[in-house]
Amino acid sequence: MHRAALLLLIATLVASCSPRVDFNADIRPILNERCVDCHGGIRRQGDLNLLFRSEALAEAESGLPAVVPGKPNASELIRRVSHGNPEVRMPQEGHALSKGEVRMLRQWIRAGAPWDAHWAYVAPERPALPAIKQSEWPQQDLDRFVLAKLEDQALEPSPPAACPTLVRRVTLDLIGLAATPDDVASVCEGVTTYEAYVEKLLDSPHYGERWAAMWLDLARYADSKGYEKDIGRTIWRYRDWVVDAFNADMPFDQFTVEQLAGDLLPAPTEDQLIATAFNRNTMTNTEGGTDDEEFRVAAVVDRVNTTWEVWQGTSFACVQCHGHPYDPFRHAEYYQFFAFFNNTVDRDYDDEYPTLPRFDAETTAAGTALMEEWERLDQEILRIALEDSIARARREWEALLDRPEVIGRVRNMLQNEVRRVALTPEIERDAAQQTLIASVYADISTDSRLEILRKRRSEVRQEINVLSPLQTPIMRELPQHKQRKTYVFERGSFLTRGKAVTAGTPQALPPLPDSAPRNRLGMAQWLVSEENPLTARVTVNRFWEQLFGTGIVESLEDFGTQGYAPSHPDLLDHLAVTFREDQAWSVKDLLRTLVTSATYQQSSHITPLLLELDPYNRLLARGPRFRLTAEQIRDQALFVSGLLSTRMHGPPVMPPQPEGLWNNPYDSRQWQTSEGEDRYRRALYTYWRRTIPYPSMVTFDSPTREFCLSRRLRTNTPLQALVGLNDPVYVEAAQALARRMETRAEGAQEQLAEGYRLALSRAPAPAALAELTALYDKALAHYENSPEDAPTMGSTAHQAALAMAASAIMNLDSFVTKE
Amino acid sequence: MTLVREAQHAYLGHVTRRHFLRTAGTGLGAVALASLGIKSAQADPLAPRQPHFAPRAKRVIFLHMAGGPSSLELFDYKPDLARLDGARCPDSLLEGKRFAFIRGVPKMLGPQATFKQHGESGAWVSNHLPHLAQTVDRIAFLKAMHTDEFNHAPAQLLVHSGSPRLGRPSMGAWVTYGLGTENANLPAFVVLLSGGAAPDAGASVYGSGFLPTVYQGVQCRSKGDPVLFLNDPEGIPRDLRRASIRAINRINAQQHAEVGDPEILTRIAQYEMAFRMQTSVPEAMDIGQEPAYIHELYGTVPGETAFSNNCLLARRLVERGVRFVQLFHWGWDSHGAGASEALNDGFLKRCKETDRPVAALLKDLEQRGLLDDTLIIWGGEFGRTPMLENRSGTDNPFVGRDHHSDAYTMWLAGGGVKGGITHGATDPIGYSGISGQVHIHDLQATILDLLGFDHLRLTYPFQGRDFRLTDVHGEVVREVLA
Repeated sequence: MHRAALLLLIATLVASCSPRVDFNADIRPILNERCVDCHGGIRRQGDLNLLFRSEALAEAESGLPAVVPGKPNASELIRRVSHGNPEVRMPQEGHALSKGEVRMLRQWIRAGAPWDAHWAYVAPERPALPAIKQSEWPQQDLDRFVLAKLEDQALEPSPPAACPTLVRRVTLDLIGLAATPDDVASVCEGVTTYEAYVEKLLDSPHYGERWAAMWLDLARYADSKGYEKDIGRTIWRYRDWVVDAFNADMPFDQFTVEQLAGDLLPAPTEDQLIATAFNRNTMTNTEGGTDDEEFRVAAVVDRVNTTWEVWQGTSFACVQCHGHPYDPFRHAEYYQFFAFFNNTVDRDYDDEYPTLPRFDAETTAAGTALMEEWERLDQEILRIALEDSIARARREWEALLDRPEVIGRVRNMLQNEVRRVALTPEIERDAAQQTLIASVYADISTDSRLEILRKRRSEVRQEINVLSPLQTPIMRELPQHKQRKTYVFERGSFLTRGKAVTAGTPQALPPLPDSAPRNRLGMAQWLVSEENPLTARVTVNRFWEQLFGTGIVESLEDFGTQGYAPSHPDLLDHLAVTFREDQAWSVKDLLRTLVTSATYQQSSHITPLLLELDPYNRLLARGPRFRLTAEQIRDQALFVSGLLSTRMHGPPVMPPQPEGLWNNPYDSRQWQTSEGEDRYRRALYTYWRRTIPYPSMVTFDSPTREFCLSRRLRTNTPLQALVGLNDPVYVEAAQALARRMETRAEGAQEQLAEGYRLALSRAPAPAALAELTALYDKALAHYENSPEDAPTMGSTAHQAALAMAASAIMNLDSFVTKE
Repeated sequence: MTLVREAQHAYLGHVTRRHFLRTAGTGLGAVALASLGIKSAQADPLAPRQPHFAPRAKRVIFLHMAGGPSSLELFDYKPDLARLDGARCPDSLLEGKRFAFIRGVPKMLGPQATFKQHGESGAWVSNHLPHLAQTVDRIAFLKAMHTDEFNHAPAQLLVHSGSPRLGRPSMGAWVTYGLGTENANLPAFVVLLSGGAAPDAGASVYGSGFLPTVYQGVQCRSKGDPVLFLNDPEGIPRDLRRASIRAINRINAQQHAEVGDPEILTRIAQYEMAFRMQTSVPEAMDIGQEPAYIHELYGTVPGETAFSNNCLLARRLVERGVRFVQLFHWGWDSHGAGASEALNDGFLKRCKETDRPVAALLKDLEQRGLLDDTLIIWGGEFGRTPMLENRSGTDNPFVGRDHHSDAYTMWLAGGGVKGGITHGATDPIGYSGISGQVHIHDLQATILDLLGFDHLRLTYPFQGRDFRLTDVHGEVVREVLA
């Protein structure tokens, strides 16, 4: 018998005997809300933690187990929650549990206290396609899940969106730019099919730019190092790598492994090394007096938290200081995972070492030779330093102990000790060991051979820097003998070390396969393994949210028990399994399926009924309608006005911004406004300084990228209106759009309509055109009467008046909204 | 009739005002507002709201002396330190300590000021602050403040966001998130900078962190646009701007009639508000309207970027219902490495620049009856060492002190604060607190308490956890509450 059917049968049988209690639906919410604050991952009062079945069943401090499966009357939990004496009764805070809740707990214990895992920690299986009535509506399998739920609620899907609206929607979604009037005409007049148009978009180089913008929030990409001085960082090759990876449709599993562990792949390519800069986007502190170790640890913590948020949709950050308050992750498990990231060479160095130089055709040979020489010198210096110090210490000891029979033994002991200490990572050394090593280094610093080698080493570094002024920070693993030990940090502080741990993954999730290496590479492969229950779900949910505005799980960053439950659990699993298996992790395949679905192509009109029943569109009875991102709004203004540069890649640019914003007291660098087409590049390429972000983008909710961010909140403020109306970038765009309107059409009416078409991919309704005309007329009268005002807006009164109208068009709700 | 109303009447007769309000905040994470006990029916993110209990203060002016002013030259009188001047610092003071710049064994540095007791309360104030000395009976001094950070950016972030790392909401953002605003025509949280440099941690010290950006501080400037992009471009007179917003809103209303998205109504309202802000912000920022005796009181000259102007602006802003005014005055980083940052040069200038306007602000608020419910906070991100910092190791004409996180003075006045008291004390050289120690998180808990909030309950969910300004710490300093 099919497994699901068997389970169903059992469930039915059980249900017929006694009302079925579902742990996740009925019991866990009681425990999470009323118990685990005191008996959970943070506090374990009475030595009881109700996040794990084993602990609930074990003897607590009182000597009694909280839960005795099958025996509610013997369970201390029941005795305490139903006790009449308020001194004894649990929970002590707040009101008592309701009778219904206590009854539920009793039934659950009687049934054996089954402890089902939270849905997100159980691997998704391909669900059967649900039965539906309107079989002609679906265009993709995913539509059946949506429709089944609508039919369940007796709701109808919305009619398809008007063709121009849909073409604009899909163009914005896939390449982040507006659809041109030609694109619209070609699809809506039937010259090109919708499906063929989607292919064209997926093949566009702008596709990678649009999706990189999303990924860079997760990668916390910025062009500065953060902290006080927040000085510049050169890491844009990573941004370009992301653009190219999306354009090449690099399968998401490979995309994952290369970013997390590209350096550990066999013979990694330059691109694979650049990919690891994902985890060099952590902040670097260059202030005086700071402890590099403290900020190295802060960076490692950030890498752990980011990995869990991006791939596992889990708020692992909680576990840094204590056990997870709600989810089954133990404090020590945080540091087991931390151990995967704890052995890279980088250490909050001001120069961001290690970095990858870039050599061109002419410099490759020389550059590679220099890199090899540097490595050789580095090894040689270490070897000599070690042997020297051993030899010297031996001489001293021999002079001291002039007895041949002990000399041999002492020599060996000493040799071993110095070698052991030298190979102990710096942070591991105790005070005596530090003194020993300090004296060793103090002595050898006078050694002339070493002086020469050191001098040569720094010359080689200089030569490399000259050959390649461009150096990108990358990940590199420490050699075996320099690997750090990892300890649990009590209460999250790096100064308070608990027990030592080795690299591993949490028990609540499937184990690392035995064959997988116990390092970052093994960890990355584990994330994208078939057994991992989270990665595919979290990923499809992310892309879904980008298109539909809300995730199937609304909390993209939290699939745990405190996150939101999925609106369509089977749909999520269907998409996840399809993405991992049928689509072989191809993001383009995933997006193609989504945008060609009937669900996606619905009209986004909101009827009063839908607004009442489903204001946030969780049932998907209509298409998405929400404000564009900061980057998209800027890109549209430049694109529709014809100013946008299509140049891709390269160092970040500095488009115009108000003067005087960069005035950090300890960094005198100024914003150097870019020249030529670099003033009009896509927002993706704008210089991203963490403490002083580009003002117009922040106003539209772009994050400052200190940390990984899954979801941008969308606000709607008067400051946004001021940007759209008055920011010189938008004023310039309005003037440029006016010039385009003038050259593309004849007569004010047609020119206004053309501006509207260019900006919104559709013709204006007569009432809208009437408003624009009235504005134009008023502006024209003004500029004819006050010609001294015109030159700042246009070269003629007519053009200045058109610019006023163009500005109005680019401030319409429809312009900043995907409809 | 405003455009919003007009649009509503013309196109949305069936939409009631209540409905409009309910839908006005749909983009803003209903969960978050729900955590404040705000139901979606009230979900205008900036609507005025009641805190947890009756507040003693309704608005805040925070005077941040960026760089870390030396308490030893201002409030913390240490005659013993004068006797030790020039002596080698004992090892016991250096053990286990980290400094930003001091290396090796420094010398002690006596107070570079003379002190007297003032007012009925007999508070000690140095000769550098003659005007402030006249107001001490309104002030509660916290003499044993301490912080965890000894570099500017993290210490400033700790003061304003409760965490030394970037990414958390600032105090002003928390307060506007909790209280909303009383004047929708002005930003709820205004930031004013002076002293020639922005805060070290940049806009993050007045950012909204993970709160919606609607709560972030808006920097108002005395030169250029008072708010970025506030002024219409040249060549667009007001009536044309009005006409363009009218056209935008009418077309938006048509669009709303067709597609029914309530977010469009919010946008209509925001364009209308932007138009009003274009008038109300410059009006509030124009100190030229003030009478001569007020300029005399503050020492202000209209049109300059100066701390005194910002003090007067702060009064004008709170008078108009702005919830939180944050001033930063850079230049208190008195290392002694050069004239501008020497205790015997730049520091004295900072004292002169701030002494009169701060005293004026207290008096002015009092005479307007605003001091009773306006909380004033004065202080830096840390204090300075009793040791001389001599970075170059050579004789130079300038003296200075290094950053010091263990003991320094801040003060509170106004809204619910007991005046004329001193809370806490430091040891005979001002190196460590010996009684009444107050950590930054305690100060934050106290500020929130004065505003009517239980700091444990003003929270926002982020990354799976309820965050608050005071992190996992904070005790209200009851001794300073009136």
